Amino acid sequence: MENTHTDKNFEQKLKQLQDDLIKMSEIVEKQIEIAVNVIKTKDSQDAQLTQNLDEQVDVAERDVRDLSFEIMTLHRPVASDLRLVFTALKVSKELERMGDHSRNLAKRAISISSSFDDELIEQMYSLGKNVQSMVNQVLDSFFKKDELKAKTSWNQDAEIDKEYKSLLKNLIERMHNKETSVVDEGTKPILIAKSLERIGDHATNIAEEVIFNITGHYIDLKKSDFE
Amino acid sequence: MVEQVNSFAIKTKNVSVHYGNKMAIDDVTINFTKNDVTSLIGPSGCGKSTFLRCLNRMNDVIDSCKVQGEFLLNGVTDIYGDSIQVETLREKIGMVFQKPNPFPKSIFENVAYGPKIHGLASTQSELNDIVMESLNRAGLYDEVKDRMDDIATGLSGGQQQRLCIARAIAIRPEIILMDEPCSALDPIATARIEELINELRENYTIIIVTHSMSQASRISQRTAFFHLGKLIEHGDTSKIFTKPDKEQTNDYITGRFG
Repeated sequence: MENTHTDKNFEQKLKQLQDDLIKMSEIVEKQIEIAVNVIKTKDSQDAQLTQNLDEQVDVAERDVRDLSFEIMTLHRPVASDLRLVFTALKVSKELERMGDHSRNLAKRAISISSSFDDELIEQMYSLGKNVQSMVNQVLDSFFKKDELKAKTSWNQDAEIDKEYKSLLKNLIERMHNKETSVVDEGTKPILIAKSLERIGDHATNIAEEVIFNITGHYIDLKKSDFE
Repeated sequence: MVEQVNSFAIKTKNVSVHYGNKMAIDDVTINFTKNDVTSLIGPSGCGKSTFLRCLNRMNDVIDSCKVQGEFLLNGVTDIYGDSIQVETLREKIGMVFQKPNPFPKSIFENVAYGPKIHGLASTQSELNDIVMESLNRAGLYDEVKDRMDDIATGLSGGQQQRLCIARAIAIRPEIILMDEPCSALDPIATARIEELINELRENYTIIIVTHSMSQASRISQRTAFFHLGKLIEHGDTSKIFTKPDKEQTNDYITGRFG
């Protein structure tokens, strides 16, 4: 078990910082889950919910930022404490961007034509579920300080990117073979897929921060198994 | 990499110190790079001041103190060997203490005393030059130039400590040991001493014991963490305060000790 701080006030604030991040993560995970489901359901109320949750995410990010600033000013953290505060700041920024992408993709998903190709919807949904799983895993690695899990989720991004490219290729091929109106309709799934792919990228960034938080070193950025 | 003998001001190996039956330092090996400021940190009773005092044989006067191990000045001279007299050693390795301790003499006499007894000046003019240069280097000259004959104990705490630094550098040492030199000073005087330490680094190797972790992080290039007489970790200050290798170091500097 990790030793506790001799300064109880400092200890309390570090705990508060982690609690604030857990709260923020839970909102973003919920947002992503709802947004991915909207790809299939096209439920406008759920899409609106992602918008409402996004406002909560923005507030949560400000809370993390304010508390980090307070800790740095009043307690001057060093070593593992300093890394935690920096990681919290960076992770909260990544989460905030994930929230934005979730909101945007839900908004676009409800306006996709109901006659749009089921296979493509299924492909987008599958990409969304994999991104969701990656986000859950990377956040779990952060709160459990699990380096191996962080590395596993970091590697998962290569699969997400492959899936995204395959979906993109499929969309472009279909647009080539169809009418101009279908091309217009096709831009929405492209933007949705791009949002999902970006969420995966932000999850990768979090994995890097988790590894830094635990070890003090950044992961080797070469992705040998990718491209 | 081939280690340059002359790159270290002091090399120590397998140092152990006992006070009677009590072990104060347990098998410490550490080298001090020239022109670096090295901070020795650790909780009270960890042995950091005992270790510092071994470096210019200040522990010799304590009968119960037994020092073992190797101490080499500039990689060659055995600090505890017969080839060097303690007085000569302390010319080379000066010391500044926790509490400013000027002699109850004039400001001038405080600085001139060392050069006089060590025969560093052959004329009054040379002595005047040494005193002026030392006070200048200690950042005190401008404040005292018009009252050199005033009694030194009338200076403020910060000025007295800078006078002690001027006194230490007047005998042209290579190394300056400092044992919590700012613990009796206010923040402004502390800042002035810290600035001075940074300036002195150009010409001297400085080894400082400090209880203030923020001071260690501000002024030193290297930091050594002691605990229960053992050297737990020694490395670049920036590394020690961001990603120390040892969990014990992390626990101490983050305030999780005990």
